[in-house]
Amino acid sequence: MSVLLDVQELQTRFQVRKGYVYAVNGISFTLEEGETLAVVGESGCGKSVTMLSLVRLLPPAASIENGKVLLRGEDLLELNLRQLRDVRGGEVGMIFQDPMTSLNPFINIGTQMAEPLVYHRGMSKSDALARSAELLEMVGIPDGEARLREYPHQFSGGMRQRVMIAMSMSCEPAVLIADEPTTALDVTIQAQIVDLVKELRDRSGVAVIWITHDLSVVAGIADRVIVMYAGYIVEEAPVDALFEDPRHPYTVGLMGALPSLTGETGTRLTTIGGSPPDLIELPDFCPFHPRCPYAIDRCRKENPMLEPVAEASDRGHRAACWVDIRDVSVSSEAGVAAD
Amino acid sequence: MTTQEIAVTSEIEIAEASPTNLWRDALARLAANRLALVAILPIVLLFFIAAFGPYLTPYDFLAQDFTARLVSPSSEHWLGTDELGRDVFSRILYGARTAVSVGLVSTAISLVVGLVMGSLAGYLGGRVDMLVVWLTDVTRSMPALLLAIVINLTLKVPLEAWMEQMYLATKNTFFRQTMWVDLVLVFGALALIQWPGYARLIRGQILSIRSRNYVLAARALGMPTGRILTRYVIPNAMGPLIVAVSAGMGGAMVLESAFSFLGVGVQLPIPSWGKMISDGLRMWQTHPHLLVGPAVMMAVITVSFAWLGDGLNDALNPRQWGG
Amino acid sequence: MSQTESSNGVPLVRVENLSKHFSVRIGAYGETRATVHALDDVSFNVQRGETLGLVGESGCGKSTAGLTLLQLHRPTSGKVFFEEQEVTGLSEKEMRPLRRRMQIIFQDPYSTLSPRMTIGNAIGEPLWLHELATGQDAQERIAKLLDDVGLNPAFAFRYPHEFSGGQRQRVCIARALACEPEFIVCDEPISALDVSIQAQIINLLQDLQEEYNLTYLFIAHDLAVVRHISDRVAVMYLGRVVEMAPKERLFENPLHPYTNALLLSVPVPNPRLERQREHTVISGNVPSAINPPSGCRFHPRCPLAFEPCDHVVPEWREVEAGHWVACHAV
Repeated sequence: MSVLLDVQELQTRFQVRKGYVYAVNGISFTLEEGETLAVVGESGCGKSVTMLSLVRLLPPAASIENGKVLLRGEDLLELNLRQLRDVRGGEVGMIFQDPMTSLNPFINIGTQMAEPLVYHRGMSKSDALARSAELLEMVGIPDGEARLREYPHQFSGGMRQRVMIAMSMSCEPAVLIADEPTTALDVTIQAQIVDLVKELRDRSGVAVIWITHDLSVVAGIADRVIVMYAGYIVEEAPVDALFEDPRHPYTVGLMGALPSLTGETGTRLTTIGGSPPDLIELPDFCPFHPRCPYAIDRCRKENPMLEPVAEASDRGHRAACWVDIRDVSVSSEAGVAAD
Repeated sequence: MTTQEIAVTSEIEIAEASPTNLWRDALARLAANRLALVAILPIVLLFFIAAFGPYLTPYDFLAQDFTARLVSPSSEHWLGTDELGRDVFSRILYGARTAVSVGLVSTAISLVVGLVMGSLAGYLGGRVDMLVVWLTDVTRSMPALLLAIVINLTLKVPLEAWMEQMYLATKNTFFRQTMWVDLVLVFGALALIQWPGYARLIRGQILSIRSRNYVLAARALGMPTGRILTRYVIPNAMGPLIVAVSAGMGGAMVLESAFSFLGVGVQLPIPSWGKMISDGLRMWQTHPHLLVGPAVMMAVITVSFAWLGDGLNDALNPRQWGG
Repeated sequence: MSQTESSNGVPLVRVENLSKHFSVRIGAYGETRATVHALDDVSFNVQRGETLGLVGESGCGKSTAGLTLLQLHRPTSGKVFFEEQEVTGLSEKEMRPLRRRMQIIFQDPYSTLSPRMTIGNAIGEPLWLHELATGQDAQERIAKLLDDVGLNPAFAFRYPHEFSGGQRQRVCIARALACEPEFIVCDEPISALDVSIQAQIINLLQDLQEEYNLTYLFIAHDLAVVRHISDRVAVMYLGRVVEMAPKERLFENPLHPYTNALLLSVPVPNPRLERQREHTVISGNVPSAINPPSGCRFHPRCPLAFEPCDHVVPEWREVEAGHWVACHAV
């Protein structure tokens, strides 16, 4: 497989009242053709900012300070706005968390869906509408032609997310960026949407970047996973390796914090004490060390780089940690207190 | 990532930060706002003049000097004199009294009325709410100046007649001072014009705060309604109210000047800037000094209150800063 | 419908046929009145010291159940008993002593604390209100409560905006605890929090339950969390409880087709397992509570639906000891 998207040293920060908040701190990753990459992390870890940086859809307070975003070798950060518009909705499709506000309530679904087809594909309005009806049926909305005349409020949350997916797929993008697409949905609807995206991916071969805070969803959909913390990638691995052999203490902590649907109950959850930081300057220490039960002196003095882990089952398994956590045992609730 | 997420600081930072206070924070944000700071100066000065003006003036505001009528600004009369030879500077200082008392009293009256009506409407809802909203709609549908003129025309004569009768009956000289009639009418008209704004603001605040979780949580603790109002609803409604009051004070002063300009405001001999402007306007080509002083004062104070209101709005609304 | 628990003794909380309907106006000009059947004919008991989990998707009425149980909504019909004393119909004043004993923790810790009150005052208020402590004694109690929930007692003089979501939820828990309650409704207490913080709060709630012998009604949409914390679990769908059982039995042998669908929809954090699982066994969306389906409310989406389901409301019955279900097909 060949590399489709190559992100290098991406750095994005936000201007705030007293200086900057460093949201994305020089991260690099690649996405291969047809691959599904999950980006996992808690709120404020920079996962959404990273994805918005790729297509430069950032809020005004944010600025990309450094880096390259190479889509098939072309740097998206160098494009002018006109070229960028061709990429957005063309080669890069996007779905957002909130299907309720992602559609214009005053315009019917058909017009909204036809617009990118007319704009990007140069289709006539009637061709675009016909194609939109097909797309609706493709995402599991029966009677597509009739529903094109309806308005967003006539669709439920899950149905709107299907419409969003249909729109993002309409120009046959090479990359689909899904930013927490199921977070606002109920679990039965989430299952439907996940299945839909998997089916579309398998049929069209689109590469997917799936951003989420939910490790369980990741297990079912991703080929590879990136775990982010405080604007850094702390671990990157193929999905099986990540779940079976996590190497970064934060990944381990996240997994321990998940209650399970099977197995023993009555055990305590392992927790990560404290809460994630917002970096107001770039750290010269590991940003996770205040919450890390494995922290050693070096963690307080040097920020570890993302490097291949020892004795990995897969060469693509990398982690940013000074400690080989397999050598250390800690009690399940070590770490700092909550305050 | 939303701005809210950014605003959440980490535990580590919190542990080091000194304890802060919402009001102190607001004050700090106000102090960081240059326009608001610039605006505070004239407002403080205005209140100072209103309080101590009579001790500062070189002349009595009524003192007529027929030997020095309509003189231009000089070292003797800093801003000149008017047709009756009265010192314009002194009259402006006295005019500050009128402006401030009109601003304070009429705002206080309309605020109290608005608070009572707005709280009743917001908290009781139903028919009371509909009645109050209807009343505010009716009042607001009438042009302010027209309302003031109607009040003045219909009530002034009977009120003066009543004062006269009271004087004859009681021989109390208080009832001889017809300027009280003017003041009562001006305050009344201003309050009538301004209360619906406050009532609506408070009603909206209460409706929104009532649905907040902390009110539900207080109910779950078994807290009586009165205490929920005083501890939760009112303190949280204060911010927008303070802003509205600041803007309302400036508004009341401008309106009073407009009344005086139209001849339905405070009548002579108490100086009022509006009246001075209207008098000055008749001779502005020959004697511009009569117009410039009060007009500049009026403009500065109006702009200052507007800026202060803006500054307070930003300072009391934490969502407006940070991201 | 009466319901007897398999365990002995008087239940701490008994809910009998509780219903709550809201009247709303719909249409562009609000010209039509409609009734939202938020809660219909719900019955359950909560035993002292146990945690009853209440799960369901958004709009199923689980939060309404908690609020109506505490009389924060006036029920449309039905009864609630606290230690065999009827709570429904009491005036706010008569409720006050009971409010101390029955507390609630809300989902959103951001809007649950007044931004103009220090957290010390927020926690101290119930002490004052229920005359539990005054003066120096109250200060010590506040410090102890903060310590209990894992916060530094020195934080008492700070305002809520200085705290993160997890810390605020700790403050809310301390405040509920200040009343020395016996029963706490936890209304999605962790849904607004990040994963690593969720685990902290779950552990805290469990520790406190042990220390103070608390009884919880734990309302949540996350099945794994409910499984972790509950002793028994009730599943709600569109205003009705469809199944209730001890958690082992519910998760190992779900009888109601909706419970089953819900369990299958939840992804598990295991890639090898997840690749083989079938998730979508029900299609469509939850219908509106304004015009809920007749008969069994799940019948339009139910893979097992047959003749009586669309017109006969299934009976709420105990199919084996402690395992209740409302389904014609079981």
